[in-house]
Amino acid sequence: MPSRSLPASDRILRHILALALFALAIAVPGARAQAEDLPGFVHDGQLTLCTNPTLPPMTFVDGSDTDALAGMDIDLARRLAAYWHVTLVPQTMDFEGLFPSLSAQRCGMVISGVLRQAGRLRNYDAVPYLDSGVVVVARVGTPKLREMADLSGQTVAVQSGTSYAAQIERENDRLRAAGRPPILLQQYPTEDQVVQQVLIGRVHAFVSQDVELYYRQKQLGGKVTIILAPDYPDFHQFAVYIRKNAHDDALLQKAIDTLTRQGEIAAMAKQWGISGDHQSVFTEGKAPSRFDVATFFGALFSAAFLKGAALTLVIAVLSHLTAIVISIPMAMKLNGRDSIIKRLLGFYVAIFRGAPTLLQLLFIWNALPQFFPIFREGWFTPFLATWLSLSINESAYQVEINRAALRAVDPGQVLAADALGMTTAQTYRHVIFPQALRIALPPTINEFISLLKTTSLASVISLQELLAVTQIQVARTFQFTEYYAAALVYYLAMVFFFLFLQKRIERRFVWADRNKASADAA
Amino acid sequence: MQHSTAPDPTARISIRGLSKFYKDYLALDRIDLDIRKGEKVVVLGPSGSGKSTFIRCLNRIEPHDSGVLMIDGRVIDDRTDLAALRGAVGMVFQNYNLFPHLSVLDNCTLAPRLVRGIAKADAEATARRYLSQVGIAEQAGKFPIQLSGGQQQRVAIARALCMSPEIILFDEPTAALDPESISGIVGIMRDLAEQGITTICVTHEMGFARHIADRIVFMDRGAVLEIAPPEEFFTAPRTDRAQAFLAQMIRH
Ligand SMILES: Nc1ncnc2c1ncn2[C@@H]1O[C@H](COP(=O)(O)OP(=O)(O)OP(=O)(O)O)[C@@H](O)[C@H]1O
Ligand SMILES: [Mg+2]
Repeated sequence: MPSRSLPASDRILRHILALALFALAIAVPGARAQAEDLPGFVHDGQLTLCTNPTLPPMTFVDGSDTDALAGMDIDLARRLAAYWHVTLVPQTMDFEGLFPSLSAQRCGMVISGVLRQAGRLRNYDAVPYLDSGVVVVARVGTPKLREMADLSGQTVAVQSGTSYAAQIERENDRLRAAGRPPILLQQYPTEDQVVQQVLIGRVHAFVSQDVELYYRQKQLGGKVTIILAPDYPDFHQFAVYIRKNAHDDALLQKAIDTLTRQGEIAAMAKQWGISGDHQSVFTEGKAPSRFDVATFFGALFSAAFLKGAALTLVIAVLSHLTAIVISIPMAMKLNGRDSIIKRLLGFYVAIFRGAPTLLQLLFIWNALPQFFPIFREGWFTPFLATWLSLSINESAYQVEINRAALRAVDPGQVLAADALGMTTAQTYRHVIFPQALRIALPPTINEFISLLKTTSLASVISLQELLAVTQIQVARTFQFTEYYAAALVYYLAMVFFFLFLQKRIERRFVWADRNKASADAA
Repeated sequence: MQHSTAPDPTARISIRGLSKFYKDYLALDRIDLDIRKGEKVVVLGPSGSGKSTFIRCLNRIEPHDSGVLMIDGRVIDDRTDLAALRGAVGMVFQNYNLFPHLSVLDNCTLAPRLVRGIAKADAEATARRYLSQVGIAEQAGKFPIQLSGGQQQRVAIARALCMSPEIILFDEPTAALDPESISGIVGIMRDLAEQGITTICVTHEMGFARHIADRIVFMDRGAVLEIAPPEEFFTAPRTDRAQAFLAQMIRH
């Protein structure tokens, strides 16, 4: 039954259906919401959604365009927006970023294959929209289990940020109490990596929701099997999460009830091949080939990868340039006489070199809006946040390079420039900086190359840079090797380009090397 | 000591009670001195006696703390236009301090273009003239690292001359050179003096001090102890410390 994935014709049909539903929502007065009935998280005609599109068939990217979100959750969000007569503005990010972003009022709701769970209800309201069940999946041929305790001593993978980890911890408490070895847990940032651990045999099994497996069976068919479907009350329903607000909760409940009553939710589920029949899963399909050259080249020249690589390059260059510009006066001040400013700068450098870059990104994106509401407005994009955060972070490293380079310039140079009547600015511009540049260049390029790779951290705050694009594509297709290889090609190409640039610039420093200078003159 | 308390506005340089402190340390102790136009003065004294500090006060690379410094009748203090002062008073260092990232020609044209706003072509024509005067016209396109010490010091002198100074301060210009290069530099310095440029030179180079200098200024512990023509200073030093200094010089 719905255990097959959709052919292309169905996909077109699906789009037409979505359009029809949309038209219906506008046309049918019964489905119309009055303006005063709008929930508080809808602003300025916009319904903002936070989602992590690496979880097909709930939320994922369909095709190679990273902006083309698809899935049951996306359809539901679109339908809700239509219901309230507003535009849907989706924002994608890492799973761990979803709830912090909801708290930071960066979005009005989270629909991202998140289960309704008691623990989360303390801080958020959740309205269920789809039934589900937990499954434990292992490689084909693994014997079926009777209960979770049978996993004692085995390694199990789950997606980090999900509540499976907490659930397994509870099982482990029971196991320990019974004097048995606990289940060993490994957590990965994306669902596809979780599955991959089973495929490559690193872990015994993974824990997921049944609906996901329906979708994945084409990729996984014949390779894995469900070994247990434990009955956890906390894992029965997918829910829409919003910030705590009784009024909003009631309105959302009403909207979902209406859609359920009209059979629309069931239609969406059917459309995405979501059904409650475990047994029919994984009976057919063929294993994917080892390395698909066409996929690799397709990814390499895809618009998504080009865009991702361009974003990585632009954010790295911009951040480093900003860092250089702010770190030069900082270095001059730090090399100068003792003062309050100098001590404050020392403090700044210590903090931003000390704290992990990832933490700084998360802080600027998720914590800053709590102190300054202006940072939760639309203009403060993931791009700006990454730029700000990486510039500040990088300046703390660059300042040390600058200090050393400036110190290495012979003080006699300043004396000579002074004696010739040059101003301080002229002396820096024409005498000190050109000489300091030669000393600073190699470590600066080194820093830049490292920064280019650090940009991949920005996927946690939803910047669609190269690695984020790669992960989204892997989640969709499960072709790890091809997409990783394409990303690698881009990173290497960028790094080699900058190493080449360094060589070119260094050629201008012949003045520092007697032999080269003479060879050049000859 | 030999002067009345008022500075002499007709002298090229007139100094009265010039003192300088580094924190608590008295580096220059009430120096009085008048220098005529075109005069060649050599400053002698043991290491640490304040010779460098003294000549650096003359172009205000080191500001003095008290006393009066007058150049061509104008008082030099914190209101003085430094660019103009340093144009009038050039300086040459023991370690040349050429700009290593610039060619010989660019070393000579940088300050005239930046400070004086002279056009590139004019600045280069002037630079080439002075480079040939100091005998290294053919090195104009090289970088300092490609030149010998003597050649570098010639560039440094040409660089100072490009600002057309009336006074040039030399701080041990030959101390890092071999004897052959020394005689070349000394020759150039003599030529400058003949062109009427006032020369104040800190040096241990006895040839220049004995045969070319008009007067010797002997310093010790920040103070000027003797001012005398060379024959008088070298044959009959009046102070014990000058005698001890000369004895030391001869032994080495
Ligand atoms: N920037 C400074 N800060 C503190 N003390 C200084 C500074 N420059 C010079 N001095 C001190 O002032 C005194 C005079 O120094 P100066 O360099 O003028 O001596 P000098 O006669 O030129 O010696 P030498 O023959 O070794 O070059 C020395 O004791 C020196 O340590
Ligand atoms: Mg000295």
